Amino acid sequence: MGRTVAYRLVAALPLLVLVSILAFALVHLMPGSASETILGDGANPEAVAELDRALGLDKPLVTQYFTWAGNALSGDFGTSPLTGRSVTDTLTERIPVTLSVAIAGLTVAVLLGIPTGIWAALRYGRWMDRMLSLVTATGLAVPNFWIGILLAYWVGVRTKWLPAVGYTPFAEDPVEWVKSLILPGIALGIGSAAVIARQMRGGLLEVLDRPYIRTARSKGMSFRRVVVVHALKNAFTPVATVLGFQVSVMLGGAVVVEQVFGIPGIGGQLIRAVIEQDIPVIQGVVMFTAVVVIVVNIVIDLSYAAFDPRVRVQ
Amino acid sequence: MTRRSVIRRLVRHPSGLIPASWLTLLVFAAVFGDWITPYDPNEADFLALFEGPSFRHPFGTDELGRDTLSRLIDATSVALLAGVQAVGIGLALGVPIGLAVGYLGGWWDRIAMRIVDAIFSLPGLILAFAIVAVLGPGITNAMFAVGFLFSLRFIRLTRGSVLSTREEPFIEAARLSGAPTIRVLRSYLLPNIAGPLIIQVSISFAAVLLIEAGLSFLGLGVQPPNATWGTMLREARLNQSQSGWLPWPPGLAITLTVLAFNTLGDRLRDVLAEDPASSPPVVPPAEFAPVRPAASVDSDTTGVSGEAFEAVYSLSDALLQVRHLDIEVPTAVGPALAVRDLSFDVSAGDVVALVGESGSGKTLSATAIAGLLPRQVNIVGRSSILFKGDELVGSTDDELRSIRGAHLSMIFQDPMSSLNPSLTIGYQLAEPLRSHLGMNKAQARDHAAELLSRVGIPNPRNRLADYPHQFSGGMAQRVMISIALAAEPDLLIADEPTTALDVTTQKQVLELLVQASEESGMAMLFITHDLGVVAEIADRAVVMYAGQAIETGEVFETFANPRHPYTRALLGSVPLVDKAQKKLVTIPGRVASPSDNSPGCRFVDRCSVSVARCSEAPPPLLSLPSAGRIVRCINPNGSPDGSPTVSSS
Amino acid sequence: MYQPQRESRWESYRELVLTTASEALLFVDDVTVEFHRGHFARRRPVVRAVSAATIEIGKGQAFGLVGESGSGKTTLGRCVLGQQKPTHGSISISGKELSTLKARDFRATVQAVFQNPIASLNPAMSVGEIIAEPLRRLNGMKDRVEMRQRSEELLDQVQLPSRILDRRPASLSGGMAQRVSIARALAPHPSLIVLDEAVSALDVATQAQVINLLADLRDDTGVSYLFIAHDLAVVRHLCDEVAVMKLGEIVEHGNSETICGSPKHRYTQALLQAVPVPDPTVRRLRHRHTTSTAVET
Repeated sequence: MGRTVAYRLVAALPLLVLVSILAFALVHLMPGSASETILGDGANPEAVAELDRALGLDKPLVTQYFTWAGNALSGDFGTSPLTGRSVTDTLTERIPVTLSVAIAGLTVAVLLGIPTGIWAALRYGRWMDRMLSLVTATGLAVPNFWIGILLAYWVGVRTKWLPAVGYTPFAEDPVEWVKSLILPGIALGIGSAAVIARQMRGGLLEVLDRPYIRTARSKGMSFRRVVVVHALKNAFTPVATVLGFQVSVMLGGAVVVEQVFGIPGIGGQLIRAVIEQDIPVIQGVVMFTAVVVIVVNIVIDLSYAAFDPRVRVQ
Repeated sequence: MTRRSVIRRLVRHPSGLIPASWLTLLVFAAVFGDWITPYDPNEADFLALFEGPSFRHPFGTDELGRDTLSRLIDATSVALLAGVQAVGIGLALGVPIGLAVGYLGGWWDRIAMRIVDAIFSLPGLILAFAIVAVLGPGITNAMFAVGFLFSLRFIRLTRGSVLSTREEPFIEAARLSGAPTIRVLRSYLLPNIAGPLIIQVSISFAAVLLIEAGLSFLGLGVQPPNATWGTMLREARLNQSQSGWLPWPPGLAITLTVLAFNTLGDRLRDVLAEDPASSPPVVPPAEFAPVRPAASVDSDTTGVSGEAFEAVYSLSDALLQVRHLDIEVPTAVGPALAVRDLSFDVSAGDVVALVGESGSGKTLSATAIAGLLPRQVNIVGRSSILFKGDELVGSTDDELRSIRGAHLSMIFQDPMSSLNPSLTIGYQLAEPLRSHLGMNKAQARDHAAELLSRVGIPNPRNRLADYPHQFSGGMAQRVMISIALAAEPDLLIADEPTTALDVTTQKQVLELLVQASEESGMAMLFITHDLGVVAEIADRAVVMYAGQAIETGEVFETFANPRHPYTRALLGSVPLVDKAQKKLVTIPGRVASPSDNSPGCRFVDRCSVSVARCSEAPPPLLSLPSAGRIVRCINPNGSPDGSPTVSSS
Repeated sequence: MYQPQRESRWESYRELVLTTASEALLFVDDVTVEFHRGHFARRRPVVRAVSAATIEIGKGQAFGLVGESGSGKTTLGRCVLGQQKPTHGSISISGKELSTLKARDFRATVQAVFQNPIASLNPAMSVGEIIAEPLRRLNGMKDRVEMRQRSEELLDQVQLPSRILDRRPASLSGGMAQRVSIARALAPHPSLIVLDEAVSALDVATQAQVINLLADLRDDTGVSYLFIAHDLAVVRHLCDEVAVMKLGEIVEHGNSETICGSPKHRYTQALLQAVPVPDPTVRRLRHRHTTSTAVET
């Protein structure tokens, strides 16, 4: 187990390096230098050169990259030229909020998606299956921010059952924390729930057509046992893959949904950074999401072993 | 499949017609938007703010009194153009790269895919943000970013399809024919992966629309005052306290359009899957019997001459009695009978072989007896399957369950895929022991080990904890046999159990089966296409052709003196290892399809001794006096006059 | 790791072959193929798929290569087709080393037919286009009328009606598809056709048709076959010479009647013993149900 984790971590290194190169390259892909952006239009060239030196932008690219990557490794993504704040400070403050929203979305996605998929598969071709396939198709098509707008208005503003805007940190009040995450979670999770439900349904149906299911039936096993013991476990592997991918989708989606519910996550900062070309913030966010994605993928890889003994032996 | 036939089949079903109509409407709105909008989409009317739907403004007005319907129509072209841009960039970048790395393979492929997978695993939206940050906000930049990201999808898809297609023997054949690489890519690979690509285009359109709407909603895409569905939602959110109606029209427009693209993609997949080889719809080949639409076939017309039939079958007290079995399968031209009027017996301790070529219906028949027919395949007509006196046709799955495994077991062709890959052998072996014999865990484990050793698996106790993939094909089939024999059934149905095995392994497995049946008096119904195997182990043979039993009899008799022209030809067509032969006997033509309901004998087109009468009426089942021989032929002696002379031999 | 035993008689067989090899069409000289499994980080032991195989095929000869799965027969076939480079040893066609031949000349000399009939034909092309490909690429034919005419001749040779030229592979039966493959392989007038399990996916009756066709074609055109198969009976019927392979090694080699009639090697004997014979009077596995219950094991 420990060795597997170590192996996966090493295997993930190239990904991290690649993403860091891409993130680093952002600064240099931009028209105009960082110093020009900071000093604004029509700054005098000497001041720009001065700032270049101060920021180390006059050194060779490779040196710059290693300096930057070294700092990033120690958790230092530099300072936002816009706000003058350390990017790391902004991240540590905002990321937990965004992660909370993403986890809320994932929870909704799993709780809705998996049972729906199983249910639909077991009613294959019948009225309920067709109904559910229409529902999941719609779920895939609805923009999360639209659901968010509707939920915030109809549930939040009109009925006042749940807060329409704002966020309560967990440390402050766990109950309010949960309450403030329910609507964003639903808005964010419905699309992924549909993805998971479809994968679950398709995967289960495929497994139910496998020869070993026929074997189990030929042994006289009950329908329930065939499904629960013989089919589900094998159907979960592809669902786990999809689930891993959905984590990435959740992180992206959270940024949008936060805007709908006025949640102070990383989203607002990021959007401002994009508009104002505040590159260090973007670099920080990209690197952070890369790390989260890598960790999630390792967890998913390890979970395969639980479902599939062929992976375990290797 | 031709392009036109794909489109025709696409819109034949509502799930293709409705989205196609909606998208056509959108294209119309996008092209003629300026002429059909009732108002100027950007013209403010401060006397009509936040109006609900009315006759004047069917979808109401917004915070500046602008007509919502006009703005929706105006936004259509932006949405569709964005889609075209992004998907176009994605295709233009992705397909050539995917083709190249897939076909070249090796390090090219490994490095390219590492990069693609790495980027792909990151949230697309955040990457789009990063690209937009570099290029600056605006719809063209945003769509460039999205197009770049979507090229990754097309690289993955193209490369994956190339990898799976590249191993097909027709690619090898192309190289042997001297086709240069470029031609192999263009004429052999690309046309065969076009289907998945088109589906992906449709689905990508949907995804691009969602992303475009999201970026515009965040203010990073289309800039105001120009209307897009995303910016309309952005404005609707800001003014929600004034009007709960505003978010609905743009939200619905996005949802319906995305739904339309997705559904169209799904429908396209179904249409292409109906005919995976993308070939034209099967036209009845002129040299073969015409395919007629399946009418309901009356079993009585397949003509069982009552007397002859009763003579053999009426007083049977056999373990398994199959009577008039008809099995209906779905085909492109509607349901058709794949098994027709099949009757035979298996007595206790007997080994009966159900022998035939592919398409003879032998496997369907065996699966039907065990009650394991696939979905949409049904037993119809007056079929009856009596097992130990119980009627199995029409029994519920619960009733069948008490019989399956306990009294009637089954083994299959591919032992590897017939064992559950995620459960240990011990677990799979203990299941029938615990449920049918009521053993507890420890007893079941002990007995399982004994069963394994009985089928010749060395070191059985340790192997209980192993998974199927740790066994070789031959060993896996032994495990399957031990599972099937666990509850000591009266009948074992073996469906081509040795076809996937090497001959030396086949011999061992056959020995094992014969030994098991002789020791316990278990009867076997053995399904095979191999006449050699039939001769080696069977007591009786039922020869099947095109869904019918055409000859039934004791094995020694049948092989020594085959009465049906098909049986004779089949025996003559087998190459022998122990004798030198001249030419092999061949049977011209092709097996009649299940949907072929011509009135005459199903073998008539290929028969060397057929007479006019053979194609007029179905041949009767004739019972010959010798050892329960039954032949479905008007001419069981091959005499040229075609009279049903029955003689004892 | 499996160590091949080099028996002296095979050395002498090789020497015997060497004296006649100059006249042979195909000469596979002492070919060994090894595979390295895994990546450089986790290199696993070498797998020897073929070890020191020597065969010789004369003009117009049908040579059978028999073995069970994993015997290396397909790998050896791939070497002859130039799809796999031998680790050791050489292969020559009409006295010319395979690696010195120009790709186009080699393709025109050695052709192949594979196991899966339908999958061997491009689903996106018509039968006519499939057969025209080698005519255009290998025979340098350009004239459409001429190509059509030659395609019809080829179809006639494999006993197919010329009207199927416009059909797609998916609408063909397995037997018809395999004949189209044979026609495609015959197009450049090859001297050798490698038939890799070319009849094993077909039903008995269809298989008989294709076997007869292959026998006729050899008589008519003088083409040689390297017939790779697991089925000894088919090989006996079609081939003059047989080599029996086991775990990468050729264990016995000779005239097919002799090998099937009086095999010398233990493995060949076991193989022959195991082939089920469609004649109940000589059956070995189960005796007449009523007379005996004893089993031979």
